[in-house]
Amino acid sequence: MAEGLFALVPAIVALPFLSFLIALVAGRRLPKGGALVGIAAMTGTLGLSVGALLSVLGVIGTPGISHQILYDWAIGQGTFDLHFGILVDQLSALMLVIVSLISLMVHVFSLGYMNEEGETGLARYYAELGFFSASMLAFVMSDNLLMAFMFFELVGLASYLLIGFWFRRPGPASAAKKAFLVTRFGDYFFLIGVIAVFATFGTAGFVGSEGFPHLAEQALLGEATVQTYFGLDTQAWFSVVGLLVLGGVMGKSAQFPFHTWLPDAMEGPTPVSALIHAATMVAAGVYLVARMYGFYAVSPTALAVIAFVGGFTALFAATMGAVKLEIKQVLAYSTISQYGYIMLALGTGGYIAGVFHLTTHAVFKALLFLGAGAVIIAMHHNEDMWEMGGLKDRMPVTYAAFLAGSLALAGIVPFSGFWSKDEVLYEALIHGLGSPLLLGAWAMGLIAVFFTGFYTFRMVLLTFHGEPRSDDARSPHGVGWTVTGPLAVLGVLAAVGGAINLVPVKKLTGANIDFLHDFLDAESANAAFLGFHHYEELLKSQAGLEPAYIGGETLTLLGSAALSLGLAVGGATLAVVLYRGPSPVRHVERLGRLRDLPFNNYYQDEYQVWLARGLTLGVARAARRFDEGGIDGSVNFVSSISLFSGDRLRRLQSGIVSNYAALVAFGLVVLLVAFGATGGWF
Amino acid sequence: MVGLLAVGLFVVLSAVFLTADLGTPVGFAGEGSITASIGYAMFDLEGGAFESEGFLITFLVIALVLDAALDAAVMLGSREDEEEQTGDPLAMADGGSPAEEER
Amino acid sequence: MAVATSYYLVLSAALFCIGLFGILTRRNALFFLMSVELMLNAANINLVAFSYMHGNLTGQVFSLFTMALAAAEVAIGIGIILVLYRNFDDVDVTRATTMRW
Repeated sequence: MAEGLFALVPAIVALPFLSFLIALVAGRRLPKGGALVGIAAMTGTLGLSVGALLSVLGVIGTPGISHQILYDWAIGQGTFDLHFGILVDQLSALMLVIVSLISLMVHVFSLGYMNEEGETGLARYYAELGFFSASMLAFVMSDNLLMAFMFFELVGLASYLLIGFWFRRPGPASAAKKAFLVTRFGDYFFLIGVIAVFATFGTAGFVGSEGFPHLAEQALLGEATVQTYFGLDTQAWFSVVGLLVLGGVMGKSAQFPFHTWLPDAMEGPTPVSALIHAATMVAAGVYLVARMYGFYAVSPTALAVIAFVGGFTALFAATMGAVKLEIKQVLAYSTISQYGYIMLALGTGGYIAGVFHLTTHAVFKALLFLGAGAVIIAMHHNEDMWEMGGLKDRMPVTYAAFLAGSLALAGIVPFSGFWSKDEVLYEALIHGLGSPLLLGAWAMGLIAVFFTGFYTFRMVLLTFHGEPRSDDARSPHGVGWTVTGPLAVLGVLAAVGGAINLVPVKKLTGANIDFLHDFLDAESANAAFLGFHHYEELLKSQAGLEPAYIGGETLTLLGSAALSLGLAVGGATLAVVLYRGPSPVRHVERLGRLRDLPFNNYYQDEYQVWLARGLTLGVARAARRFDEGGIDGSVNFVSSISLFSGDRLRRLQSGIVSNYAALVAFGLVVLLVAFGATGGWF
Repeated sequence: MVGLLAVGLFVVLSAVFLTADLGTPVGFAGEGSITASIGYAMFDLEGGAFESEGFLITFLVIALVLDAALDAAVMLGSREDEEEQTGDPLAMADGGSPAEEER
Repeated sequence: MAVATSYYLVLSAALFCIGLFGILTRRNALFFLMSVELMLNAANINLVAFSYMHGNLTGQVFSLFTMALAAAEVAIGIGIILVLYRNFDDVDVTRATTMRW
């Protein structure tokens, strides 16, 4: 039983779930379709999450983490148990606050986006938002991998429902299906990974000395024995399990090659894109890696894969974002790219950097999407950037907030994105100096910084600057406080959010201001094998990831910061040069063939459809033929034996009495001979 | 060809009987009429010179069976009205025509 | 000098098999019935032979009942042949084959 505020932690999930039920049942009768209930629930949840964070910090009560088992739903006889449990440690408390804050902002924003615009089906919308929030929060505070998997899937379901909110149109319906199927494909490997974890360790818990990350570490040190399969040795098997779980991570966080669903998911309402496909659901994948970091830290293969996939995706998506025409598409590819950065950080041992970038990205990406939503409302739901222009005079608050978010995204000092992205690249560099693979990933991430700066400012200039290029832009629809309020809140956070972990300043001046580092490195975390100090030791001993410097630590730090800042400013400047002025030219179109490839998403969508139709259908047909011919055939053969013999035997009944008498006599003779021979009559 | 079965059965049975050791037959020694004893035995009466089981119940059952057989035979032989009157009303006992006989 | 019982048994077996031969080969239903009578009488010889062997009259009394039973059975049999003739216009047993597959 948890003491103090931790006893109220289940209410964090219960409140949004309650709002889901209320909106589902009585939403149509409520004045705003269940919005106010949702806002009230999320406000309560935010308060409780902040309270939980303060409890973990020690501001309320004693500092420490809370782990409680809520319900044993399967007790194994002579084997492992399955239960629902809550783990509130530093990482999950931080994520709880992020999720509930963004969810609250989105709920308020939806009042302006959905209600004001006269949308129908609002009860369903708010119910689904509540369901999503409840599932995501429950996922964040899961204490074991199976429970995390269950809520992972529920979050995917909520995403499907929300993307396909306007399901009567073919676009959203198809996009929802695609999102669900692509993530489901990755989740299939995740499920096998969960089973593998259970089979290997006998437990799927994350925390403490009985958690499987610690058991993995002990197995590699020879202090414990675990069950491995397929004749692989311990290290190799752990890598396999890590890669299996990574399948689900890559699907949910839209990393290559499972990224194809995210741009299509923009068919859903913009607040949904802000909540789910920018800040929270796609964060679920990388959050899982961070949650299981003790397990990944002992497997250098899995870490290398994570880093390389992340770096590649960062560059890959950034090139596509630079040529898109619609504002939400640019932001979607930007999301894919930025999650590549977080994966790069986690894969190269920069745990704090990854979590830091996750936090700042959640804030500024949600901000950018909500800003795009405001623009879309103003533009009467026209999303094409080439039809916009000149909106900065007509929407000043939106412009200021959007600019703050863009500066953060591009990574310009002193906005939050600069500090977190710089730290990501710095950690990737110092840990990757010994390995060409990791260094390659770092290089790709670095090049992507240039593209990020470019597409961000291209987006800003085309949307807000210049002269209006269409009637929609000349007379934009007004937006109310429900839209600008969340924008203002998130804008401020995007600007000052970097203050939680100003590592370069700390390294240069020695001031102890890297709060996030201290937070994630707390004594209570390390005691439960969940803290950064513990991870760092594992990375050094098991994964061989030690920091190396070029010419000393300070020089490397300053050099890396200068490099990333320089590239970001360079990209931004190029965009400003190309797209400033009253009527910008379509420079990207002039690239011709070079533009077609990223514009068509490198034909990944067509490739995946071919995989589904061409490859899978052929396999399915062959399987069907085997089933009908082989299995049905053998069963039919057995029955045909019976039919044939019956057909032949019935001809004994000829109807002639003498024949029957002959048969009786024959049987009698045989019986007598048999009895006589065995009984000794003769 | 089918009759060989009967021959075969005879071969088997005689092989069994001839190689069986049945001992010498006891026979009916002593004074007394066998037939009279059979009569006494049939009605469960004392007075028979030789031993036997009582067959009174069997006698009654056989009487019943014969009675039933008689009724059944009559029933089987009776002609129902639905049958076609194909032949002559006179029973054709010898195969000749009634006109020839009368002459 | 009493005859050994086994010779009586052989005699009854021979009669039985002659009756069986008749059943298997004769096509006229009336000869079929006669063969059945032969088999029943073979059983009677068997009963009397064992009665002599054991010195017990049970066998002989029972053979009387068997004879009565044979008579009853023939009565029914002839009735059946009559009905057979009415339906098939022939007393040939190989002609009445409608109760078949």
